Amino acid sequence: MDPLIPTAYETEDSFLYALSSNAAWAGYKAHQNPKFFPIWLGCSDSRCPETTLLGLQPGDVFVHRNIANLVCATDINTAAVIEYAVAHLRVAHVVLCGHTACGGAIAALGGQRVGGVLDTWLAPLRGLVVGHEAELAELPMDEGGGDGSGSGAGARVRRLVELNVKAGVDVLMANVVVTEAVRERGLQVHGCLFDLASGRVRDLGVGTSAGKGVNGVRGGVVRGKHAELVFRGGGGATMAAR
Amino acid sequence: MVNSRVGTRLLQSLIRPIPRTRLLSTPNLPTPRNASSSSSTPTPQPSSQTRHTSTWRDMAENDITKYLRQTHNRVFEHNKAWAADKKAKDPEFFAKLSAGQNPEYLWIGCSDSRIPAEQITGLEPGDAFVHRNIANLVCNTDLNVMSVIAYAVAHLKVKHIVVCGHYGCGGVKAAMTAKDLGILNPWLRNIRDVYRLHERELDVIADETARYDRLVELNVLEQCRNVIKSASVQQSYAKNKFPIVHGWVFGFHDGLLKDLEIDFEAMLREIQKIYNLTEN
Ligand SMILES: [Zn+2]
Ligand SMILES: [Zn+2]
Repeated sequence: MDPLIPTAYETEDSFLYALSSNAAWAGYKAHQNPKFFPIWLGCSDSRCPETTLLGLQPGDVFVHRNIANLVCATDINTAAVIEYAVAHLRVAHVVLCGHTACGGAIAALGGQRVGGVLDTWLAPLRGLVVGHEAELAELPMDEGGGDGSGSGAGARVRRLVELNVKAGVDVLMANVVVTEAVRERGLQVHGCLFDLASGRVRDLGVGTSAGKGVNGVRGGVVRGKHAELVFRGGGGATMAAR
Repeated sequence: MVNSRVGTRLLQSLIRPIPRTRLLSTPNLPTPRNASSSSSTPTPQPSSQTRHTSTWRDMAENDITKYLRQTHNRVFEHNKAWAADKKAKDPEFFAKLSAGQNPEYLWIGCSDSRIPAEQITGLEPGDAFVHRNIANLVCNTDLNVMSVIAYAVAHLKVKHIVVCGHYGCGGVKAAMTAKDLGILNPWLRNIRDVYRLHERELDVIADETARYDRLVELNVLEQCRNVIKSASVQQSYAKNKFPIVHGWVFGFHDGLLKDLEIDFEAMLREIQKIYNLTEN
């Protein structure tokens, strides 16, 4: 059997589930009420499917994914997504999520030319590397303390990803559409980190929740229950899992 | 072994019609049918799409919140079961994920919440590198999407690139509105350009929905062409005979994917007359 095919057969049930739940959610969509769903800004990395790690279903989350979940003020692609979701769909939450062992962060730390358009795209990450050179240099690249040839599971990559999420949230908070929505209708902006090794999502305590935690939820959030972080916010959207 | 039929076979395996009985008896189906009977939440019958919709329209805000909470609980139960199942079948599942990615697919789709790539295709975490933007556009000057394509092709060596649009796309509709939409203008302009390229064909479609549906299809075809115009795709194909580019359209009313059956080789030859970037 072709190695590409089994995936489809093995997951037939989940596909049927997706379709059936899709039909069920048609009612939800017919009464589209975007205050219940967030916009997800994440990495294109194949290991970070937002619906799976959030425990969400079709219709729950508006999505933009790019290399290393970069948010740049002048990137029209991301700007159009934010404008559409925040100003037109009026979502209640913006979630920017980075992840451990991110290939974009590893490339930025490598210092080598990646080629083509990628070097220009990764420039903001390289800017963070330059700006936090001393701090990053003290952290191990790999778990064993290697120098960058491995999987990038070490604290240096993780720290750069955190810095990148924080920088991205700052750009989001400076976006005029976001600023107005925060002021006028309590839009919430979150920055978080997905740990591939554990499947856990950690709130980085930046954005609108800076300094006060996210609605009292702090530290490691168990997969699936992450939706609490997203949904328990203002506007009475209490879609808590419990 | 990579050929243009692999993607099609995956697609065919996914679009087999689902027996209605099976669909309705799916235990995890998140409809309110199993909700507490003491609840005052209306219970729409999922067998009738129309009735479903009108019931929902009549729902009070309060009832919707309650319904959504109940529905959501079931969603989380499903997710917990899924995660436990994954771990039971393969205790190393998450450890392997963190070791690296080796996806076969690059998925370029719409940001629309109703089109989650993984669930539509049944692909698992690790199978598809994903980019989603408004109306699944691939613009030459957009470093965002061009970086995604370059990384997926040159570094991850994906075998298939799927551009997936969907009928009823809000982005496509917004693009054809006679209105200044600010920062959305430069993005949505690309769709107006697709219309202009196919003006004659589109103008004669009298029914508005049918015309938009066709524009959605033509937009996917044009974005496939744009993917093929990229240096990374042309150079990789010349060397490796992959990736193959596919154009699909998803209809969330019936849950089916339509393969626009692009002749990849022919499209490549056609664009290379002008856009050839094979030599580096
Ligand atoms: Zn990444
Ligand atoms: Zn769309």
